[in-house]
Amino acid sequence: MGRYLLRRLMSALITLWLLATIVFLVVSVLPGDVGRRVLGPFALKEDVARYNHQIGTDRPLFRQYLTTIRRLFTLSFGNSYQTGSSVNKIVFPALFRSGKLALLAFVITIPISIAAGIFAARRQDKPADRIVVTTGLASSSIPEFVTAAVLLSIFCVHWRLGHVFANPPDGTSVIGQFRYLITPALAMVFAYFGYIARMSRAGVINGLQSDYARTATMKGLSKGEVMRRHILRNALAPTITVISVQIGYLFGGIIGVEKVFNYAGLGSTMLGAVTHKDIPVLQGAVLLVGVIYMISTLLADVLIAFLNPRVRLETSR
Amino acid sequence: MSESDEIVPGREEIVSTPGADMLVPSTTIGTTAVSPTTPAEIELSGVVQVSERKQARRENWRLIRRRPSFVVGVFIVLVWTACALLGDRITPHNSLDFHAATHLSPRAKFPFGTDSIGRDVLSRVMVGARDVIKVAPLAALLGVFFGVIIGMLMGYFGGWLDNVLSRIVEAFLALPVVLVALLAITTLGHSTWVVIGVVAALFTPVVARTVRSAVLAERDLDYVTSAKLRGESSAFVMFREILPNVSGPIIVELTVRIGYAVFTVATLSFLGAGPQPPSPDWGVQVSDGFRVISAGIWWTTFFPAAAIASLVIAVNLIADSVQSVLEAS
Repeated sequence: MGRYLLRRLMSALITLWLLATIVFLVVSVLPGDVGRRVLGPFALKEDVARYNHQIGTDRPLFRQYLTTIRRLFTLSFGNSYQTGSSVNKIVFPALFRSGKLALLAFVITIPISIAAGIFAARRQDKPADRIVVTTGLASSSIPEFVTAAVLLSIFCVHWRLGHVFANPPDGTSVIGQFRYLITPALAMVFAYFGYIARMSRAGVINGLQSDYARTATMKGLSKGEVMRRHILRNALAPTITVISVQIGYLFGGIIGVEKVFNYAGLGSTMLGAVTHKDIPVLQGAVLLVGVIYMISTLLADVLIAFLNPRVRLETSR
Repeated sequence: MSESDEIVPGREEIVSTPGADMLVPSTTIGTTAVSPTTPAEIELSGVVQVSERKQARRENWRLIRRRPSFVVGVFIVLVWTACALLGDRITPHNSLDFHAATHLSPRAKFPFGTDSIGRDVLSRVMVGARDVIKVAPLAALLGVFFGVIIGMLMGYFGGWLDNVLSRIVEAFLALPVVLVALLAITTLGHSTWVVIGVVAALFTPVVARTVRSAVLAERDLDYVTSAKLRGESSAFVMFREILPNVSGPIIVELTVRIGYAVFTVATLSFLGAGPQPPSPDWGVQVSDGFRVISAGIWWTTFFPAAAIASLVIAVNLIADSVQSVLEAS
């Protein structure tokens, strides 16, 4: 187990390094100077020079590259172009707020979609199954901001159940915050339900057809016990992987949701950075999301190894 | 519903769904979706072989066309394509002119109402199809083109090349497409071609991974070995021998990519990294309109949002039908 973890960690670090390289390349190595591209052809020469100096793109490329790598591994992302203050002070509180929203969304999504997957798998090809599969396909293919806008009109404006602005005032209790966050969270639930439900459905169908499930049934275990003790253990591995990947990807969709609900999370921070050409903040946010993805997939692999002895024994040999 | 449109067990969920394309690290796409060809057939009766393949293709096409979800999807896509091509020639009003008071609710003259400066929402939704219909397929096509080349190299040559490229692909997959696109478009500008290029570049690694695993399944088959023994060049083996046999997963990947491209492009333009106002692009319209929803003005947001949803779902219905048929054959 220890060696398996070590290897997994090493490969995560290499991926992180490559990721920082990609982020660096996107910003710095494309032809032309960054300040001119960002500020446009009509900006004053002095402004362009000042911009390049402030975000550090007038330094030798290699030094810039080292800076990017260092920022990633020390998790300190330099200074904002717009405000001059530390990017960390902007990005981490925003991440915390996005995290609250995402946590609520996942707390709702995971049980519902796994249950729906099991439900559908047990009724494979029957109407109930078709409904789950089709709903999953449709819901996961619609962009999050579209769902968010529709939920906003129905829930918050028509039925007046939620708040149009998702930012709870300071000092709102946890339960009070729930009413603010629930509608944007539902938009994300809608988007991620499909993937997770499909994955757990596929896993359970596989399990139901397997020899070990038949053996377990024949030795007299009840249906529920076969499901809990044998099928789910195997079926959940791919589902856990999907969930961990979704945790990284949700930061793509959350930007739209946060914009619709005016929520001051990481997505809104990034949009603000786009408007103000604040590349350090944008870069920091992207790197941070990469780190989160790495951590969540790493945790998922550990969890899978924990659930399934075959994984941990085979790879540590 | 007829028998034929029943979803066959264990088929559609193994492969990536649009948007879920980056699900599991080791993909299982299309390892079986290849028409079996023995080397003898190729060597001895090339003509028969080709016509058999043609026949199989025709049969697949027939099966795809018979699926109701395919017909519905194609119909919706055609409607939007017609709107995109004909533009202001078929709209009831001009999409950019001011016709009436602002924020009129839906009524006979303006079935979808008017927007914040008195433009007809219906006309704008019709013309707004233009950008997505152009950008999304192009981006997907480019991404698949480069992805096929890279994936082919990875799968065929293996070794250190595959190792290095796999690492890079993995790093790309660690980032949400929308996020990197936002960063890239901010530094490159938001012209149409930049959006197409960025989305294509971000799709390339995903496609490469799919193609790689399909090629891996083919690489050691006899027809490849015999082509090598004949002294064919690597390029010939890759693109004339292997490519036709992995066309199934590639076509599936293309349709899935187009769906995801619509998703991405719409999201980017909603976030401001795409066409700019006064463009009638759907994402731009939603972005213009959503702030007044709380004042009860829902129609400026709802109709373009519904348009996006309808197009995405239509493309995914097509992708799903193509996938189910090709992966069963």
